Amino acid sequence: MALLRAFCLRAGVFFLVWWVLTEGDPSGLWSGAVIVLIVALFSCTLYPPSSHALRPAAALAFAGYFTLRSVTAGLDVARRLLSPSIPLNPGYLLVKTSLPEGGPRWLLANTLSLMPGTLSVRLQGASLELHCLDLDLPIDEDVRAAERRVAGVFGLSETSAEESPS
Amino acid sequence: MIESFVLITQVLLMLAGCFFFGVGTLGLFRFSDTLCRIHALTKIDNLGLGFIVLALLPLAPSMAAGLKVVLIWVVALAASATSAHLVARAVRSGVRARMEKGNRNG
Repeated sequence: MALLRAFCLRAGVFFLVWWVLTEGDPSGLWSGAVIVLIVALFSCTLYPPSSHALRPAAALAFAGYFTLRSVTAGLDVARRLLSPSIPLNPGYLLVKTSLPEGGPRWLLANTLSLMPGTLSVRLQGASLELHCLDLDLPIDEDVRAAERRVAGVFGLSETSAEESPS
Repeated sequence: MIESFVLITQVLLMLAGCFFFGVGTLGLFRFSDTLCRIHALTKIDNLGLGFIVLALLPLAPSMAAGLKVVLIWVVALAASATSAHLVARAVRSGVRARMEKGNRNG
């Protein structure tokens, strides 16, 4: 049942992407429908649906948070770059994530790469190595905040996210 | 009146986008190590592309075309985050020498 749901959901998303790519051209919709079904079939075989379901509302909130933070990130790096003294204090930082394996961890690592001052270097099990532009920034708090948002997107409860060793 | 306002906004957004792309490239020269350069390239270019996408949106002839422009931004974002991570990992693992050699050849 979960497989069928994932199949329909993915087919819907792929069809939307097809519609966007062809800029809504009606002559391409039928061939698109066939291709979308094939691609959705392949996608469900190659990437079976995981137990982490996306929460649409939380995902939207995450998109807003992400946009805001990535704008801050760009401005922050630009400011450091343009100031004559180049104020940097680079270094590595090891953080432990309490998010479960798979999608959530990847989303966290990729999100942190675009957040102010952090770049994910290596993801090994639950430990994530970050490269930081400025170690004086409150990076740990930022990581926890991003972690909570990611947990929200996947519908993981706060308690289960904080239970695991951190 | 409204048209000229939209046009001016578009031009300003476009200029902001180009400015950030320029600054991102400047980061390649001003920052001294590879990882700081990646910081500059991924984050500032992401911002520059975002501004250019915003500037292009009012020009889109249809809803689908507008979404296509936004889709380009989203895909570029995912690609830049992933490639930044991969380059950073390669640097950390100490294959820097091989990578620089590859850059020279390419």
